[in-house]
Amino acid sequence: MIKISRLGLIHGAFVLFAVTLVGRAAYVQLGQTARWRQAAQQQQLVDRELPAMRGAILDAAGTVLVDSRELVRLAIAPPEVRDRAVLADALRRVAVPAEFVRRATDPARKWVELPGRYLSTDVTALLAMRGVHATSVIERVPPATAGLRSLLGTVNRDDEAVGGVEASLDAVLRGRPGRSVLVRAGRVGPLSSPEERFDPPVPGHSVTLTLHQGLQDIAERALADAIGSMRARGGDIVVLDPHSGAIRALASRRADPTASGATALTEPYEPGSTLKPFVAAALLELGRVTVDETIPTFNGKFTLNGRTIADVHAAPRMTFAEVIQYSSNVGIVQFAQRLTPREQYAVLRDAGFGMVTGIPYPTESSGRLRPPAEWSLQSPASLAMGYEVAVTPLQLALAYGAIANGGELLEPALVQEVRTAAGRVTYRAGRRAVRRLMSPATARTMRGLLRDVVTGGTATAADLAVYSLGGKSGTARRTRDDGRGYETGAYTASFVGLFPADNPQLVILVKLDDPKAGYGGLTAAPVTKAVLTAAIAARDAALDPSTLAGPPVRANTAAPGSAVASEMVPDSSRRAGRAVASDGASSAPGAAVEGGPLRLEEPPLRGPVAFDLGVERRSTVDSLPPRAVPDVTGMTTRAAVRVLHRAGFHVVLTGGAAGAVTVPTAGTVLPAGATVRLSSLR
Amino acid sequence: MRGRSILLLALLGFLVVATGVIWRRGVGLAQARELRTLRQQRAALTATQAALEGAIRDASSRARLARTVESALGMRVPPDSLVIRLPRARPTPPSP
Repeated sequence: MIKISRLGLIHGAFVLFAVTLVGRAAYVQLGQTARWRQAAQQQQLVDRELPAMRGAILDAAGTVLVDSRELVRLAIAPPEVRDRAVLADALRRVAVPAEFVRRATDPARKWVELPGRYLSTDVTALLAMRGVHATSVIERVPPATAGLRSLLGTVNRDDEAVGGVEASLDAVLRGRPGRSVLVRAGRVGPLSSPEERFDPPVPGHSVTLTLHQGLQDIAERALADAIGSMRARGGDIVVLDPHSGAIRALASRRADPTASGATALTEPYEPGSTLKPFVAAALLELGRVTVDETIPTFNGKFTLNGRTIADVHAAPRMTFAEVIQYSSNVGIVQFAQRLTPREQYAVLRDAGFGMVTGIPYPTESSGRLRPPAEWSLQSPASLAMGYEVAVTPLQLALAYGAIANGGELLEPALVQEVRTAAGRVTYRAGRRAVRRLMSPATARTMRGLLRDVVTGGTATAADLAVYSLGGKSGTARRTRDDGRGYETGAYTASFVGLFPADNPQLVILVKLDDPKAGYGGLTAAPVTKAVLTAAIAARDAALDPSTLAGPPVRANTAAPGSAVASEMVPDSSRRAGRAVASDGASSAPGAAVEGGPLRLEEPPLRGPVAFDLGVERRSTVDSLPPRAVPDVTGMTTRAAVRVLHRAGFHVVLTGGAAGAVTVPTAGTVLPAGATVRLSSLR
Repeated sequence: MRGRSILLLALLGFLVVATGVIWRRGVGLAQARELRTLRQQRAALTATQAALEGAIRDASSRARLARTVESALGMRVPPDSLVIRLPRARPTPPSP
């Protein structure tokens, strides 16, 4: 039998203890590696999400309209604060409400979140204090003007886009947040470590719009002034480039402060007489009328199907041109009878009415255009006068763009370019023609007729002294809010202008809701003039001066090499009739005023002036390229018609096939505007 | 004696290495703090720059300036008949 000494027992116990300890350590190290590593990481590391900077929104000239910046939110842990008086003083200096100052210095509270967001540089002193905790947040700085805010939308405190372009292009603007693993370092706070994970945030793309801020400011101000002076309920202004479809300005305003959004895109209205040019263009295009053709207008009273149609400008007879010039309801209704309902519907549908334009705005309205099957006996006459159809201001401006550019309906462009933060272009807008509405010859004729409206028709209030302007005014009764009939004495006044009339650079639509000052030619037309006057005088209003040339300069004493126009002139020089050159110097000979009261002089420059900035003239409208018929197999009839329409084809529905089938078949290359037959049973 | 010397040297080596590790870690921490401070300063200055640029844009925008110019200086937008656009000087080719 082995005798174990006491010393041996003690040694054995120690050895056993050591083995157990080593065994346990081995088990912890090897068997529970993942568990303890995770526990250690939780203690030592902090995983933080790094917010991505949202992309900027810029105007066409590169001016930042909306931007993001990093601010801090503050929280106070009162038990950690050393000197409460100093903290309270610092909080008051950054305008923290008194109630929150009291809470932040109350030692009974554990944690106090302060309202508001602060620039780090404004709260540097606070950030250095013990007990003050800061969290970085990205804040979207909204655009300066209310009109831009309604168009561009906003971003709420949870970084969610709300309305407008922000919502439509959220996926592009948002960016991708990053992640960073920080190492806890005791009282120093978490620190970044090169050994730990760091995924940098990817900033959102920047979006350049087609808007021009200078023109936008001009439009917004003109609209605000008009609504105020005419006591209108609201109004909209759309300015677009008819050669590219680019929207240059879009102003919407309502007297009701609760109304919001870009109503030029979302609120359709009955356009009244501003629709007449499209009926007229269809008549000319189909050869149903000549410009000089005369028709009896019965001194402004005409009864059709039991309904009396009246004119403001009463005359026994009018030519077709005068019908447009004086906006004769009697005349246009009679001329429109030469179109079949199908033809009348087709011209309005082809002009884009009743369909969304596809602009990136979340709640764009399609307006309303009923098919002939739903028309009443009065509908053809009503449509000829611009009733029984609802259009958005943008739709109508685009349709006038076709008259301006030689006959093509273009897709609107609001986004000009999208770039990554590194500057790589991921999208650039191109000119996209939807279809041809009329021949260039008809468009030219229509521009001439519209010029007559301004020079001697219903919209002489819009006439400019030097430059030619074409356009059409409209005054339509307003439907009641409940949709039952029309409001007594309430009108929508509008004017759509083409500037300049011969080779338009801009289409300007002005719509005023229930102005208390009369017809569209007396209310909306002067607003158009005000916008154009300011745009002509502005350096930054998206006008191409090379196509604004008129007759030769009569007087010009300014030094060569001076550039572009002055935007404002002193009241005194206006009264004196002095011309102001681009450098602000008086350029009219003999117009100098030598002290004392100003002498009123005959303006020496009444006629147009010519200039040459050495810029090439804008090229004329290109012919449309042929395109392939899109594949609409399996689509519903409605969807198929929409796809074909957007591709620039006329669509004729025929029955007899299961599922949407086109003749010619998908992929066939046809000229733009060709007719595609769509067979469908659905 | 030789064994003790080895033990002493080993301990001394351990002490030097441990001191080096602690010193290096201290320097690293200090640099990390400095880096963090600089990043915070950069973010703050960038935010301030954005705020100031926004303020400049706002102050120099037509929407803000036009009313001020009209009320303070009595200026008005001239009608189109009073606006003359002068020719730009064409760039002359450099002389040889």
